[in-house]
Amino acid sequence: MISRRNFITSIATGVAAAAMLSACGKSGGSAGGGTVENPTVLNYTWWGNDDRAERTNKAIALFNEKNPTIKVVGTFTDWAGYWQKRATEAAGGGLPDVMQWDLSYLRDYAKRNQLLDLSDVGVDLSTFDKTLLPSGRVNDKQYGVPTSTNAFAIYYDPAKLKEIGVAEPTGTWTYAEYKKFLTEAGEKGAGKYNGSTDFTGIWWQFNIWLRQNKIEAFTSDGKLGFTKDDLRKWWNLAADLRGTPAIISSDKVTQLLPKSPFGSNKTVSEATWDNFMAGYLADSGASELKMVPVPSDDPDNLGLFLKPSMLMVASAKTKNADAAAKFIDFMVNAPEVGEIFKTSRGVPASKTQRDGTTFDGVDAQVVAYEDSISKYLSDAPEPPIVGFGTLETEFLRIQEELNYGKVTVDQAVDQWFTSAEDVIKQNA
Amino acid sequence: MTHTQAPTRRAKSAPPQRNEKLKLRRAESRAGYAFLLPWLLGFFVLTAGPMIASLYLSFTNYNLFEAPKWIGVDNYVNLLSDERFIQSVKVTLTYVVFGTPTKLLAALAIAMLLNSKRRGQGFYRSAFYVPSLIGASVSIAIVWKAMFGDAGPVDQFLSFFGIGLGGWVGNPNMTMPMMILLTVWQFGAPMIIFLAGLKQVPAELYEAAEMDGAGWGRKFASITWPMLSPVIFFNLLMETINAFQVFASAFIISGGTGGPAGSTMFYTLYLYLRGFGDFRMGYASAMAWLLLIVIGIITLIFFKTSDKWVHYSGDEK
Repeated sequence: MISRRNFITSIATGVAAAAMLSACGKSGGSAGGGTVENPTVLNYTWWGNDDRAERTNKAIALFNEKNPTIKVVGTFTDWAGYWQKRATEAAGGGLPDVMQWDLSYLRDYAKRNQLLDLSDVGVDLSTFDKTLLPSGRVNDKQYGVPTSTNAFAIYYDPAKLKEIGVAEPTGTWTYAEYKKFLTEAGEKGAGKYNGSTDFTGIWWQFNIWLRQNKIEAFTSDGKLGFTKDDLRKWWNLAADLRGTPAIISSDKVTQLLPKSPFGSNKTVSEATWDNFMAGYLADSGASELKMVPVPSDDPDNLGLFLKPSMLMVASAKTKNADAAAKFIDFMVNAPEVGEIFKTSRGVPASKTQRDGTTFDGVDAQVVAYEDSISKYLSDAPEPPIVGFGTLETEFLRIQEELNYGKVTVDQAVDQWFTSAEDVIKQNA
Repeated sequence: MTHTQAPTRRAKSAPPQRNEKLKLRRAESRAGYAFLLPWLLGFFVLTAGPMIASLYLSFTNYNLFEAPKWIGVDNYVNLLSDERFIQSVKVTLTYVVFGTPTKLLAALAIAMLLNSKRRGQGFYRSAFYVPSLIGASVSIAIVWKAMFGDAGPVDQFLSFFGIGLGGWVGNPNMTMPMMILLTVWQFGAPMIIFLAGLKQVPAELYEAAEMDGAGWGRKFASITWPMLSPVIFFNLLMETINAFQVFASAFIISGGTGGPAGSTMFYTLYLYLRGFGDFRMGYASAMAWLLLIVIGIITLIFFKTSDKWVHYSGDEK
């Protein structure tokens, strides 16, 4: 007969036993050198939408099939939740073995010894363009390997331009011509279409404009490389367009979230990265979208660069460095993976993967765009300073207040510099 | 030792029986604690422990990766010059000051309507209570966002009367009224409590007042309000505390940004963004403790002033 006390004791024992079993299971799985019967378990996490999840799962299945002694287990979340999870895991010492990573957060985690140096663990780096690798490097250690690259571009919808009778951009233009284009599109769009979202709100376009003016965004010792005057000039560049049909109003932008105004067919153009093509096409239902380079007042210096659209990193605490390296190598170098992802991650960064992938349709368009600007490209940016994620968010937020008319350009510049200096001081 | 008589008479059998009882009681209480254990563990590990840790962290600079650095009261001092913090205090206070009384008035009004005897009253009570059951959920904030968007039902309805406000969601001047409407709509919980309170008011009081020729207003001011005051006090306190902590609806409606133009940057949302967006856990902890202290003070003020206007039955005051 089971007494109440026995019952409780047996439950308690059961719970404890289960906990111990699962703990054993974990250590058993991670004790390197897996076999086919008992493969090494490798945790991999990434951010993205359903489309990326499907492609990633295909790539993982292929890897597991080719490497029966390793079993990659994948999980994914959206972008915002991704970084909160990583921060909590890092604090608890439990980062996954391999992770998809972003340039903005590379220095934060590398500087805090959370990431594995991938220089000599078996990832083939010889297939990468020499100008690209520094963007995965912190303190001369290769913490991240780029999977793919993207470049900045101005998108436009030729059908909408034809509809309202505005000529398509030729691809070489100054900021004055760009603004004229937006103004004309806004006026002729007659309430149905605006020209674009406020292009001065995008950190990376500001970065490109700084490069056009031969200014580095950050100094090598982690300080700001530009002055309040530079930022003031940049935000003033669109001052006469704000509040006119050339730029879509912020209250409309807010309501369209999470879609972009361009993807929602509210503007005829938008400035962003070239790997957004497929997403825009799907969102807007347009039959064709085109890309041209960003405007520049110096026709020989467009300030453009290839940025790793994402990187692969491994946790410094992983017990399976060899397996992790093997998986990373597969993800960045294997042509089969290129065939799975096409340009949805950006154009493949390694030469073997790029050459081994056939691009057609939209993918060919993205590759052609990067080829067309290749003569203007300068070095990829180094990983931004620690706390950059905050600065980028602040840039967007303060610029939004500017568009709502809540602050003047001068106040906006002061606000951003105050929080930037605060971030730099915090992380010094 | 005055009552030794009875026990001695049963001396032979009593001690074992008492032992048995004691044993049983001890076993019972052990089992009781065992059943309480999950809750106690939860309380100490998930509530009390983190609270004490956050008090310590609020005096440090802590970014989750590196060991916390002691910086004294710097976090608290820095709060005072943080424009976004001040904005979040303004937004939250506006919400508490306007949202809570409006919600309670709505709850009281509906409760009084539902207190009268009418056919189908049970159905109405359930129908009015439903919004507060689903109100806190994520889905309803999403519905709200769609309803108050450009060309959404609210905009269309108002345009019908020639009031063209456009979308509320993207307009910094209209987001606060929208948030207040959202909380007012969830009046179900205080309404149920009001309804229970109204049922306790003796009908004789109203009958007597009617005999004396009291009208509706007089009855409300002299009977309903004073008799209901303990319930009003309870609701006011709970709703105020809740209003200070509003988070989920603001997070979803603004997409986690506190926008447009900082108009939904509620205190807890800013706290969250500071902690989990910027990894400034020390700063966020300081904000949490400041909020706790402020809510504590407000609760204290409520209690101190309550004897001026809250009447308990059987109380001479």
